[in-house]
Amino acid sequence: MNEQLWQLLGQDTLTTIYMTLVSTAFGYLVGLPLGVVLTVTDKDGISPHPLIYRIIDVITNIMRSIPFIILLMVLIPFTRFLIGKSYGPTATIIPLVISAAPYISRMVESSLTEVDKGVIEAARSMGASNWEIIFRVLLPEARISLIVGVTITLGTVLGYTAMAGTVGGGGLGADAKTYGYQRGNMIFLGWTIVILVVLFQIFQMTGMKIADMMDHRK
Amino acid sequence: MGLLPQKKRMSMIEIEVKHLSKTFRQKDLSVDALCDISLSIEKGDIFGIIGMSGAGKSTLVRCLNYLERPSDGQVFIEGRELGTLSEKELRRERMKIAMIFQSFNLLSQKNSLDNICFPMQIQGKNRKEARERAKELLELVGLSDKAKSYPSQLSGGQQQRVAIARALACEPSILLCDEATSALDPQTTESILNLLKEINEKMGITIVIITHQMAVIQKVCNRVAIIENGHLVEHGSVMEIFEHPKSHAARELILRDAHGDISGAAAMVDEIHKGQKLRIVFSENSAYEPVISNMILQFGQPVNILGANTKNVGGVAKGDMLLQLPENREMQFKMENYLIERGLAIEEVND
Repeated sequence: MNEQLWQLLGQDTLTTIYMTLVSTAFGYLVGLPLGVVLTVTDKDGISPHPLIYRIIDVITNIMRSIPFIILLMVLIPFTRFLIGKSYGPTATIIPLVISAAPYISRMVESSLTEVDKGVIEAARSMGASNWEIIFRVLLPEARISLIVGVTITLGTVLGYTAMAGTVGGGGLGADAKTYGYQRGNMIFLGWTIVILVVLFQIFQMTGMKIADMMDHRK
Repeated sequence: MGLLPQKKRMSMIEIEVKHLSKTFRQKDLSVDALCDISLSIEKGDIFGIIGMSGAGKSTLVRCLNYLERPSDGQVFIEGRELGTLSEKELRRERMKIAMIFQSFNLLSQKNSLDNICFPMQIQGKNRKEARERAKELLELVGLSDKAKSYPSQLSGGQQQRVAIARALACEPSILLCDEATSALDPQTTESILNLLKEINEKMGITIVIITHQMAVIQKVCNRVAIIENGHLVEHGSVMEIFEHPKSHAARELILRDAHGDISGAAAMVDEIHKGQKLRIVFSENSAYEPVISNMILQFGQPVNILGANTKNVGGVAKGDMLLQLPENREMQFKMENYLIERGLAIEEVND
């Protein structure tokens, strides 16, 4: 381990954090509305719509069944079209978002389905519209479960960034492959693991702490 | 009948249900939850709807604010037929028809004050006014000190009080109570029923109470409808039905309650039957013989055993028993003589 390698680790830790946070954020931008639509159009939802539900359901399932490493390759032309290149941290965000969004929509769906049906009925009895039920009942009541979902997603996406790194994505995963594995530098490889584990713990602890602080159910 | 008095009578009616039916369909299966129900609830009534679980009463109350759309028939609220309203008009109408539930259904992530503000936010009231009103309502339900408490920190009774305050927030003209006291202990039930009665008297809000407990009906309702298997089997004033239940369902509900479903139920039943009460004392010289059964068989008239404290000592029943004889005076006399002949000490009890 020399000065240069430490610097590389420091820099790529930030790159990894960047990829994880931005991918998760964009993932939610797509996945959260999809999850809401799934919940709402479900046969027991507030506005059942079998066709819409079925379409999103099928797409979500197909996307989730494609292994990430294959998705990465398949999406290269699409990424190149969007970003102008198919490698580097920013380019990796595209497949990360596309892979995370269906996963997120499922987690959002399960969080929102947990909301007490009686509370929804009460809101309906007060004359609340479906929009009001979504924004004033479903999302606020499910917020703890949603935050836990974000926490889990961050952990998963962090793992995916490392995978993406090995095929030109940058970040700690790329470092581990290029400077650790290929050069046989086991100490360096070890350090990337330590950093990834620490990052994972920080995401988990922060998320759970926030969830716990915001929960008024006990 | 002239036009004027009829019109006047019409204006008194708050809720009118005409030939309402509800059928739930699931693929090949269809269940008739409600069949041809017609009833009218007058302004200021505390109207009870009672039935065994599964009778369809919860479906009926949900048809009153169209949370459940009837398959057939009409519901009129102050003369407006809900079935003719657009979705938006219906939502506005619902603001006048508040509802409370068995499981309270408060927002778990909001404190009492914010829960009460919730319907006012939906109504579009400004935040400051809503909070002011919420505070007044908390005081009304006796929970001023719980404004910042979350539902999980409140007892069942307190949660239902918050739910009542929330229901009153938009100044409704009707309050629907769906098994609102079924999850509460007898004392708390009593206090919630008193609160409902107070609200009815002070604010003139028409209250519809769904319950399976006859004691609840007896305590607060002036009129009652009995639902059995989706049919309205009997309705009328509470006293009338208690005194002369015509339907099997009514009799069963009264009887079941007398066996201590809720405290005070037994006392309630004997208040209704005004027959003569008789205390019999079994002493050493009373022979081993099923006296009461034989008496009933002989006269073909039922008696009500209100209480008993007997022990079997060597084949002889010892102790006392409180009986209620039929209202017929002559029959009472015959029965008393019969008991004296069998060597029992008796005394008439008046309270």
